[in-house]
Amino acid sequence: MSNPSESSPSATCCASSNATAAFLILRLFLGLRAFLSGLEKFESGGTYSFENYGKTMARIANGITGASFLPSWATKAFAMPLGYIFLALGIMLLLGVKTRCALILLALVWVGLGFGLMAVQSDEGAVWIGTYVGLTVGALLLVRHNRFALLPDRS
Amino acid sequence: MSESTTQSSVTRRSFLSSGTRLGAVVLASPYLANAQAPAGTGGTQALNVGVIGTGAQGRVLLNAALKIPDIRFKAVCDIWNENRTYGERLLKKFGHDVKPFEDYREMLSSVPELDAVIVATPDWYHAEHTNAALKAGKHVYCEKLMSNTIEGARSMVKTARETGKLLQIGHQRRSNPRYLFARDQLVRHYKILGRITNINALWNRSVSDDLTWTARNEIPKATLEKYGYDDMHQFRNWRWFKKYSGGPISDLGAHQIDVFNWMLGSNPVNVMAGGGVDYYKNHEWYDNVMAIYEFHTAAGPVRAFYEVLTTTSAGGGYHESFMGDEGTLKMSENPKYTKVYREARAPEWEHFVKEGVLTKPGAGEEGAAAPSLPWEKEFKPKFTLAPPRASVVDVRETAALSAWNIPVVLDKAIHQPHLENFFDAIRKGTPLTCPGEQGFASAVTVLKVNEAVQARKMLTMKPDDFIV
Repeated sequence: MSNPSESSPSATCCASSNATAAFLILRLFLGLRAFLSGLEKFESGGTYSFENYGKTMARIANGITGASFLPSWATKAFAMPLGYIFLALGIMLLLGVKTRCALILLALVWVGLGFGLMAVQSDEGAVWIGTYVGLTVGALLLVRHNRFALLPDRS
Repeated sequence: MSESTTQSSVTRRSFLSSGTRLGAVVLASPYLANAQAPAGTGGTQALNVGVIGTGAQGRVLLNAALKIPDIRFKAVCDIWNENRTYGERLLKKFGHDVKPFEDYREMLSSVPELDAVIVATPDWYHAEHTNAALKAGKHVYCEKLMSNTIEGARSMVKTARETGKLLQIGHQRRSNPRYLFARDQLVRHYKILGRITNINALWNRSVSDDLTWTARNEIPKATLEKYGYDDMHQFRNWRWFKKYSGGPISDLGAHQIDVFNWMLGSNPVNVMAGGGVDYYKNHEWYDNVMAIYEFHTAAGPVRAFYEVLTTTSAGGGYHESFMGDEGTLKMSENPKYTKVYREARAPEWEHFVKEGVLTKPGAGEEGAAAPSLPWEKEFKPKFTLAPPRASVVDVRETAALSAWNIPVVLDKAIHQPHLENFFDAIRKGTPLTCPGEQGFASAVTVLKVNEAVQARKMLTMKPDDFIV
């Protein structure tokens, strides 16, 4: 006699594969979002260069400092490596390298950006970043279903 | 005439906005070459020039001509001492050895070395002054409107033909490199507007007081009578009286209506118009006029609306919009009113930017991308979604037009290229941009409006009406 409170093996298997697919889609989206967020900071007028990157990040840092209480050293310290961090995290998510770790770091980067936008009183910007925070947190909840990973997290 | 090697002080440098220089230079070079002063290094002929009429418009022309190398003013003529003295002093200040005259006949007979005469007198004197100068063997640059009567304008064309001398009419937009570029490249070569179906143009000015004079500089009554003026008020405000002028449609409208014909390469087949002395109590000419022309071009009919209002400046200054099924060209002598608009249904225009045919509006200009916030990346690639349904007021409303710029800018006085064209025609035989025949066609087009207002009906025009 079977226990009605227990799920059937086929149902459990199906739920698990759904979760795997859901996480894979989320991982791809967040990976692309992070990678392109980094890449676009090197672009200006259709060309990519380190010079563009320096100008763009300096502008972002100065813009935040100019419109908020945040000191220049803090915004520059956050902004200058930001593009490279995005690129690294994007690649990690896309390839499945230490996915859980990458998601936590990405969520922290989003929170940091959200803090900057809150500081300049950009409600719209903060809400956008909040959406990414929510998606990243959702991914963390599903990360145990991670498959197709090049370098999985240690369980 | 003597040879001179005076170097032009005008540079040929940047008239283009950044980013499209090379392409635009290639495309615009014929117009630039036409618009810039001759260098003189090859031995530019010096020309001896006299001017008849140094009132408001005459002064504008003098100031523009003073920037052109190897022009020697030798005589200045005006019946009003005030104007005559101004012109004489201005020219002497710039080193010109000029003789002043009250009577143009005396000027023409006393200064035989004149090569050319600039006529900037009230319209009703254009024919008399131009014909006399042509018959005296001078080339003539005559201000628009060519004459306040069709017969007067016709006589000028005939005299020019008989004497073999050049006659340039002062529709200066025809020599403006931006107008030339717009017509020859945008409209004719690239056909950027698609099929032109309509034109809309206006020149609106706010209420202004009549011009005045002081007792000290009043012209004696006998002198006024000698030259045909009823009184000093009419002499000063001749533009408002039927004896001397064609009214605002002639003073202001002539410039823009001339551009209708020039841009389309065609003359209208009919016109209807309304107007009246609605506001001013002591004027004869219509202070507000609205006219509708119909043109038959090779591509199909074109309807053109024109308004000149002298009781309000509302409506956005002075400009001419040529509206096609794929785009609209908004032209004005004032660059801030100039724009090209792309219909949403038209083929993509991005490649025109790369080719130097168009430029994108800069920050703060109409059509420019929304500025980035200080903490955002600048110049993000443009991608816009269709506006939400709720923001569309009327479901039949078509998508908004995108705004683009013309990469050619005139970096000198607006009359200078037209004067340069005239002097180049004398020196080098280059074609005039507004010879008498074309000025005549424009005069007919303009003067028919007043006739239509008076007749209160549509007037038809035959091709022969525009030909001398």
